Amino acid sequence: MKTLYNRVFGQYWNPVMTLVVAGIFSAAYFGLTGTVWAVTGEFTRLGGHVVEFFGGDVSGWAYFDLVHLEGSSFARSDGWIVWGMLIGALITVLLANNFKIRKPQQKRRYVQGLIGGAIAGFGARLAMGCNLAAFFTGVPQFSFHSWIFIVATGIGTFMGVKVAKTKWWKGKPKLMKGGPAPVPKREKRIVQPYVGGLIALLYAALIVWFFVTGRPLLGTAAIFGAIFGILIERGQICFTSAFRDLWLTGRTLMAKAIVIAMAVSSLLTILIIANTGMTPITQVASIGTFVGGFLFGLGIVLASSCETGMMYRLMEGQVLYLFVFAGNLIGVTALAFAWDHLGVYNVLVAGGEKLNLIPAMGPGWAIIATLTMLAGCYLFIVIYSKHKRGTLILPKGEKQIVS
Amino acid sequence: MSADFTLDLRGESCPYPVIYTLDALKDMQKGQILHVVTDCPGSFRNVPEEVVSAGYKLAKEPEKAGQEYLFYIEA
Repeated sequence: MKTLYNRVFGQYWNPVMTLVVAGIFSAAYFGLTGTVWAVTGEFTRLGGHVVEFFGGDVSGWAYFDLVHLEGSSFARSDGWIVWGMLIGALITVLLANNFKIRKPQQKRRYVQGLIGGAIAGFGARLAMGCNLAAFFTGVPQFSFHSWIFIVATGIGTFMGVKVAKTKWWKGKPKLMKGGPAPVPKREKRIVQPYVGGLIALLYAALIVWFFVTGRPLLGTAAIFGAIFGILIERGQICFTSAFRDLWLTGRTLMAKAIVIAMAVSSLLTILIIANTGMTPITQVASIGTFVGGFLFGLGIVLASSCETGMMYRLMEGQVLYLFVFAGNLIGVTALAFAWDHLGVYNVLVAGGEKLNLIPAMGPGWAIIATLTMLAGCYLFIVIYSKHKRGTLILPKGEKQIVS
Repeated sequence: MSADFTLDLRGESCPYPVIYTLDALKDMQKGQILHVVTDCPGSFRNVPEEVVSAGYKLAKEPEKAGQEYLFYIEA
């Protein structure tokens, strides 16, 4: 029992397996509810609630009609995906005894998190989704906007890395000479797993209550939200690092995992669509998708996390991500305002159209095109990594690169 | 294990533990030992991976102490 517990909570899960499981669950969630695993749409609604709370009137904002700002977050399935992810991640963080208030030594990180978060939030909503709806769950819906988004995010993250590597951005830590190494404080009594277990029980009761009171959609969202939260926390799934680490050092682990998982999810989704006749979720592909994807990519590297990764890091006690979350909400709300008030829609989005591969080329070609595109991504990752690691300047000459 | 230098990166989030560690190692003499302490969960995986792929050696298996991670890396 103890060894099983250690295997599950003592170490992080293999990211490839974890993401494949997440891809399977996201396809299943679509099959059950007709909606996808997504978070930033709900963030936009939360931003709307904040504006309303401070007495603002958002009834005339066109973007809130688009994302259906009605009722409270707790009465929406998209809301329970977000709350479920936060609670699920918190449960496993506690069960693993891994909660700790972590404050960056470099104070500039807070400003960076806020700015990066705002840029990422703005970009994500302009592109109609973050790493989920416009990427991880967008590709398997055969929505062409996600293809544009991947390229644009790639360019944006590349630029972000250029900024993050500069001296004034990264700052300098104190390098202390010699030891003694600081002795970490050890907790005398481990209480976190008990708190985690208690929260898990309460949350399970809430889910039962949703089903008993005739709200199966909320119950389903609450279950899937928690599963997604647990998976991204236990696998330390970081969409930001998939792009960033490739540009930074040629690290490929996360990028490959995401591509493989999207391929699995795409195959499952096409089977579901072919067998049920369900309509895939399609978003508008426009110049806005490209501009938004670029801004999103830039923002997530500056903030050190996207909207998804931010959620479990916040639950780990990383204080930085409170600022990133605030930045995200500011960004999505700014976009919702700029959408009609500042003409963003007319300039960047109005010329676009909803393009889905399934009606455009039939289900067979849609899956072939998607898998070919993903194979192309995989190949690019391998080749770029070889190039990057091959050009790393080795510090002491004779050392071998082991990749 | 005695270290020549110590980097206390507790509180810093990804990717800075990796960047700082590689920066510090670059300026060290071959054979010197760098001790790194982090508490960003992502760093438990990416710090050892990145130092090894940059051609350095782990002088000792990474260690988890409570919510913190201890690394000993040979430049």
